[in-house]
Amino acid sequence: MFRLKSKFIFLSIAVLVFTAVTSFAAKPPKVITIGTLYASSGSFATSSTSQYRGLKFWVSQVNKEGGVFVKAFNKKIPVKLVAYDDQGQTGTAGMLYNQLITRDRVNMLVADFGSVLTSVAVPLAKVHKVLLFDPTGTAAKFFTPDNQFVVLCSLPTSGQWPYALADFLIQKKIPRIAIIYSSNDFNQSQAVTLHDRLVKAGINPVYYQAVPTSTSNYSVLLHGIEATKPDAVIEFGFVPNDIAFLEGLQSSGLKFKMVFTIFPGQQLQLIQKNVGPKALYYTYTYPTPPLLKYNDVNFGPTLDSFEQAYKETGKKVDFLVVAGYNTGLIIEKTLDAAKSFDQLEFRKALAGFSGKVKTLDGEFKIDASGAQVGEMLPVAQFVPQGADGLDMHIVYPANLKTGNEIYPAP
Amino acid sequence: MRRRYLQALSVIILVAVVFLLLPRFYSNQSFLFNLMLYLGLAEGVNIIYGFTGYLPFGYVGFFGAGAYGSAIAITFWHISPFVCVILGGMAAVATGIVLIPLLRLSGAYFAIANLAASQALYLIVANPTMEKITQGPYGIDLSSVYNADAGYYTMLAVLVFAMVVVAYIRNSDFGLSLLAIKEDRVTASLAGVNVVRARSIAWMLSAFVAGLCGGAFGWFTAVFYPSTVFSLDVSVFTIVFALFGGVGTLAGPLLGALLLYSMYNFIGISTPQYFQLFYGFLIIGLVLFLPDGVASILQKGKVYVP
Repeated sequence: MFRLKSKFIFLSIAVLVFTAVTSFAAKPPKVITIGTLYASSGSFATSSTSQYRGLKFWVSQVNKEGGVFVKAFNKKIPVKLVAYDDQGQTGTAGMLYNQLITRDRVNMLVADFGSVLTSVAVPLAKVHKVLLFDPTGTAAKFFTPDNQFVVLCSLPTSGQWPYALADFLIQKKIPRIAIIYSSNDFNQSQAVTLHDRLVKAGINPVYYQAVPTSTSNYSVLLHGIEATKPDAVIEFGFVPNDIAFLEGLQSSGLKFKMVFTIFPGQQLQLIQKNVGPKALYYTYTYPTPPLLKYNDVNFGPTLDSFEQAYKETGKKVDFLVVAGYNTGLIIEKTLDAAKSFDQLEFRKALAGFSGKVKTLDGEFKIDASGAQVGEMLPVAQFVPQGADGLDMHIVYPANLKTGNEIYPAP
Repeated sequence: MRRRYLQALSVIILVAVVFLLLPRFYSNQSFLFNLMLYLGLAEGVNIIYGFTGYLPFGYVGFFGAGAYGSAIAITFWHISPFVCVILGGMAAVATGIVLIPLLRLSGAYFAIANLAASQALYLIVANPTMEKITQGPYGIDLSSVYNADAGYYTMLAVLVFAMVVVAYIRNSDFGLSLLAIKEDRVTASLAGVNVVRARSIAWMLSAFVAGLCGGAFGWFTAVFYPSTVFSLDVSVFTIVFALFGGVGTLAGPLLGALLLYSMYNFIGISTPQYFQLFYGFLIIGLVLFLPDGVASILQKGKVYVP
C-alpha cells in the first residue's frame, strides 16, 4: 500500500514537472536579445564600428516592422541589441563575451570584427553551447567539424580569398610575380594559397617576403621588389599596410605593370582619403559590396534599396556595414527557419538553408564546419574617370566581368 | 616579524578564499580570471620594480614567453597542461636569463631596452619562418585541451604563489638587500650585498611569475595570437595597477589591480564613452597626489601595510 502511494506521488510530481517545463519552454520571450561587441578604439576601431553600425541598422529596420519572425513561436518578436565596447583588446573581449553569455543570457551571439577579436569567443561559445554568428573572423582554425557553435556569415576563410586572383594571374600568363605580405594569420594564409597555386601552375614568384604587420614604410622594400623586375606586385596587408604601401609606391615614383592590394575593394573611401585617387589608378583589388553588386538577391533588400534606406543614418555604406547588416539577415533567416528556439536547432536551420539564400552580400553557403564557402572574391581594377575620379571594373571571372583589364598599366 | 608574516598570510588566505568562492556567486568566470591575472602580474612587477626599482616596460615579453612556452609544450609533448604552465614559467625564466645584461642599465634606459626586447621577442615568435614551432602569425589553438575551470584554478594557484613570493621578500633579509639596491647600488654593494646575484634572482622570480600567468592565460583562452600575448597593453595595465596600489608591499598591488580593473570593467560596460576620460583623470590624480600609491595613505598614518 505504502509503495503504491509513493509511486502515485512520484508520478504526479513527474507529470507536474514535465508540464511546467514544457509550458515554460513554449513560452516566447518578450524580446530576442542579440549580444555583440565593438571596438571604439584600437587598431580595429574603423572596421569594427562599421560592422556594428550595419548590425544596429538591421535591428532598427526589423523593429520598425514589429520585430523578427520566429517560427518556433509563430510570431514576430522585437529585437534588443546588447553591445559592449571591447576597445580592441582580446582580454576585455573575452570577459565581455562571457558577460553576454553568462550574465545577460543573450539569445544570439555575434562576434566583433576580424579573427583576433573573434578568437576568444570561439571556445567560449563552444563550452557554453551558444551559436556564434561570425561576420568577419575568417581564420580557418575556428571552423572544425567537432564545433557546431560557430558560423561564418559574410566572407570565405582567408585562405580561399585569392582563388580568383591566382586563376587570373595564371590565365594571363604573368611570369614574374612578387608577393609581399604582412605576417599575420589573415595575410599569410592568402600569401601561402597564392604562392602554392602559382607554383603548381609552373610560376615561381620572383619575390616572396613577409614583413611585420606594424610596417609603416615600404620604400626600401619596394626598391627591393623593383630589383627583381616583377610583372605584377601583390601586397597582402591590413588597411594601414595597404595605405603605407600605396603611399610608398607613389612617393618612390616606381611603376609596375600590375599592383594588387586587398582593402581598396572594402574600404575605398578611407583609403582614397589617405592616398588620393591617383595612387589607386590601375590598382587591382578584391571588390566587395557596395562596389560589387549581386542582382539575384532572394532574401532581404538589394544593395540599391539598402543604400537608399541607410541614408537615414547620415553615414556612407562600406563593405563592413554590409557585413554587419548581412549577419542580421542571416539571424533573421535562422529564426524564420528554426523549428524550435534552441541553439543546435538554429545550427540545423542554417545548414538547411545553406546554398539557397542570396543576400546583398552574395550567396550564403556553409560547409559542415560552419565555414563560408558561398561567397567568392573576384578581381577588379580601378581606372581613372574624368580629372580626379575613379571607376572600377570587375575583370575576373568572366561571369562577373564588367570591363577588360588594362595590362600593363600605363 | 612573526606577526608580519601572519598578517601577510591572512591577506593571502583571504584572497584565495574569495576567488575560490566567487564563481559560486558570480558567473562571469572570464572577469574573475582576468582579475586574478592582473593581480598576479601586478605582484610580479612588484618583485622587480617595487623592491629593486627596475621598471620593466617590456614585462609583457615574459608573459608572452610563458604563454608560448606552455602552448608549445602542450602541442609537442602532449603532457598535462598544468605541468605545461610551469614549463611556461621556466620559458620566461630562460628569457629572463638571456636579458640579464639589461640590468646593467638603469632608469629610462633599462625601461626602453626592456621594451625593445619584448617587441623583438614578439617579432621572433610571430615570424613566418618560426611556423613549425610557434605557428608564426597563425596563432595558437589549444581548444583540444580547453578547460576553463582547470585554467581558472591554475591561475588561482599562480596568484597564491606570487603572493607568497612577495610576502617572503617583503619580510626577509633578501627583501632588505633588494631595497638597499633600490636606494643605491654602490652603497648596497659596500654594505656587503651581492648586487648582481640579488637583482638577478628578483628578475628571474618576476619573470617566472609572469610566465606562469602567461601559461595559465593561454590555457584558459585556448585560442590566441602573438599580438594578444605580446600586447603592450598588458605591460601598461600591470604597471599602472601596481603603481596605483603602491609597490613594495604585498597588499598595494592587490588593491590597485582590484580597484582599477574592476572600475575598468564597470565603466567599460556601463559608460564606455567616458571610460578613457575617467581613467585619464584617475592617473593624473595618482601622479599628482598619490605618487606612492593608495597604500601610502595608510603608511602615512603609521599603519603597517603587509
